[in-house]
Amino acid sequence: MQFRLEKRREPSQFMLYATPVAAVALTMVVGAIIFSLIGYNGVGAVREIFLTPLTNAYKWQDLGVKAAPLIIIGVGLSIAYRANVWNIGAEGQYIMGGLAGTGVALLTWGMTGWWILPLMVLAGVLGGATYAAIPALLKTRLNVNEILTSLMLTYASVQLIYYLIRAPWKDPMGLGFPQTRLFSEAARLPTIIPGTIVHLGVPIAVLVGLVAWFIMTKSVFGYRMRVVGAAPHAARYGGFSEHKTIWLAMLVSGALAGLAGVLEVAGPFQRMVPGFPTNYGFTAIIVAFLGRLNPLGVIIAGVVLAITFVGGEVAQTTIGLPNAATGIFQAMMLFFLLAGDILIKYRLRRVVPQQQAEAA
Amino acid sequence: MELTLAIIVTVVGASTPILIAALGELVVERSGVLNLGVEGMMLIGAIAGFVVQFHTGNPYLALLSGAAAGMAASLIFGFLTLSLSANQTATGLALTIFGTGFSALAGSSYSARPVTLMQPLLPSGLADHPVGKVLFGYSFPVYFAFVMVVVIWYFLHKTRAGLILRAVGENDQSAHSIGYSVLGVRYLAVMFGGAMAGIAGACFPLLLTPQWAERMTAGRGWIAVALVVFASWKPFRLLAGAYLFGLVMTMELYAKAGGGVLSVIPSELWAALPYIATVVVLVLISLRRDASTNAPACLGKPFLPTN
Repeated sequence: MQFRLEKRREPSQFMLYATPVAAVALTMVVGAIIFSLIGYNGVGAVREIFLTPLTNAYKWQDLGVKAAPLIIIGVGLSIAYRANVWNIGAEGQYIMGGLAGTGVALLTWGMTGWWILPLMVLAGVLGGATYAAIPALLKTRLNVNEILTSLMLTYASVQLIYYLIRAPWKDPMGLGFPQTRLFSEAARLPTIIPGTIVHLGVPIAVLVGLVAWFIMTKSVFGYRMRVVGAAPHAARYGGFSEHKTIWLAMLVSGALAGLAGVLEVAGPFQRMVPGFPTNYGFTAIIVAFLGRLNPLGVIIAGVVLAITFVGGEVAQTTIGLPNAATGIFQAMMLFFLLAGDILIKYRLRRVVPQQQAEAA
Repeated sequence: MELTLAIIVTVVGASTPILIAALGELVVERSGVLNLGVEGMMLIGAIAGFVVQFHTGNPYLALLSGAAAGMAASLIFGFLTLSLSANQTATGLALTIFGTGFSALAGSSYSARPVTLMQPLLPSGLADHPVGKVLFGYSFPVYFAFVMVVVIWYFLHKTRAGLILRAVGENDQSAHSIGYSVLGVRYLAVMFGGAMAGIAGACFPLLLTPQWAERMTAGRGWIAVALVVFASWKPFRLLAGAYLFGLVMTMELYAKAGGGVLSVIPSELWAALPYIATVVVLVLISLRRDASTNAPACLGKPFLPTN
């Protein structure tokens, strides 16, 4: 039996939304097969990674906490990718947001006041946006590829953490550990559900997604991003400057990555530690694509990826699956999604062999 | 003198994997495909090379396994971007994420277990004298990288097959209309790039640190991609660029070892230097007028044959 691709007259809306779902489902099936083949309990792995976090109510708080940064960063990336701006240095912008927030927390250490947290958040947002401004500047002024610069800056920012927590920001009472002191009460993000670890960042993430959805669908800003990304020539006719759009896309995605960073450092971490680079910035790339570059989709995709993170930890303790397996499942999801994209523009047609067709 | 020679030897070691990976990517990009999965393919090559070296102790088998593993990984990329015309940027990123996870999983039981480094290629007599060591004291991949610079230059510019490959990268529609298989050429190029990235990855445990560590390529694959831009898609410039970067990375090692003046600057800054240097180099390149005109015209664009 042979198949042929046939171009659709217009992109299939059904496939646009069906392929992410199919990608997750296929990942579960193929993942189970592959992990069984290499000697793990494949079905168990899939169950623990994809289902246990959902069925075990105790894990829901972890899901919220893990999904929040993924959603916030993913929303920013989805806006940038819509405009065809390939910011893949969100991890670095997340780190810079976290560091800027840490700076404020350390400066105000021992102080109290309601203004400390908002100031930290502001610093974090500015930190992320400023770091994203470098690739934006290089791209608009000198046409330097933003993929490479934003990524290289990520590697540099990791070294900046190590430097700061080893020397100037080192906890004086830390017994030599390379980390900052624990933030004062006023610099910590409050939990919103007593007795859980669910902090203020979780509702903020959902809010960011909803606001971004509204802006992207209902405002000139969103229209501009979509037009520039989809049809640069038409955008130029319409008077949208490409450079200005690149700036906006980079700054918004950097600011949101920075916001995620400051919320993480003030929430789950409460101090800057060497383990702060958590790969959220890279995983959010998958979130953005799986969410179809649509902020509402990103909220759902953020939860899906959070499930795999939490489930990965579960599988590690229950069936001894190495933590790295999570990354493989996540990458497989993206592979299947990208493979399925062809079905949006093309349909599969069975090719009827010539003789058979004539006989009939 | 001793120190200078030692530095040269270290620079050569640090430059070699970047050069090999970048040479592969250069061929891929010349065919019009942008594979950003070099880092992932390198990691897959690194773990394959490590595992084979650990179990067999045969470094040539290890390099071959690295090549095969990198090529297998590149086929995932090729199938998605060529047969299914998926977005090349996104697929390359996915390949890197996959390679990071795959290598970490495959290597999870091998951490902190040493392998033996690859021995020099030439008879030891030649390498006894210090100058002899600098010229002849290296293992196979170092010379392989040099030879490949010439081979790839010759292939691209002096052979018919190279001409076809460049034609496919510059104008896929024309190449297709005069009967060349665009996808076939690109598949071969992508597989070659994967094999080179795999060999480059295997160089890490065989040449640099004789053990397995997660993410041990530490962004070198991305630097290789940047170097192709730096070299404006020309093999000999790639050679110069890779050695420049090897030098920058070696400075970090000497600073960490307490190398006098170098240690005044925090070691973290030295560690960040290769990445900052990449950005600086990309900026410098962009200032040249011919920079972007050298890029293959079809780079990164999907091709769908219209039957």
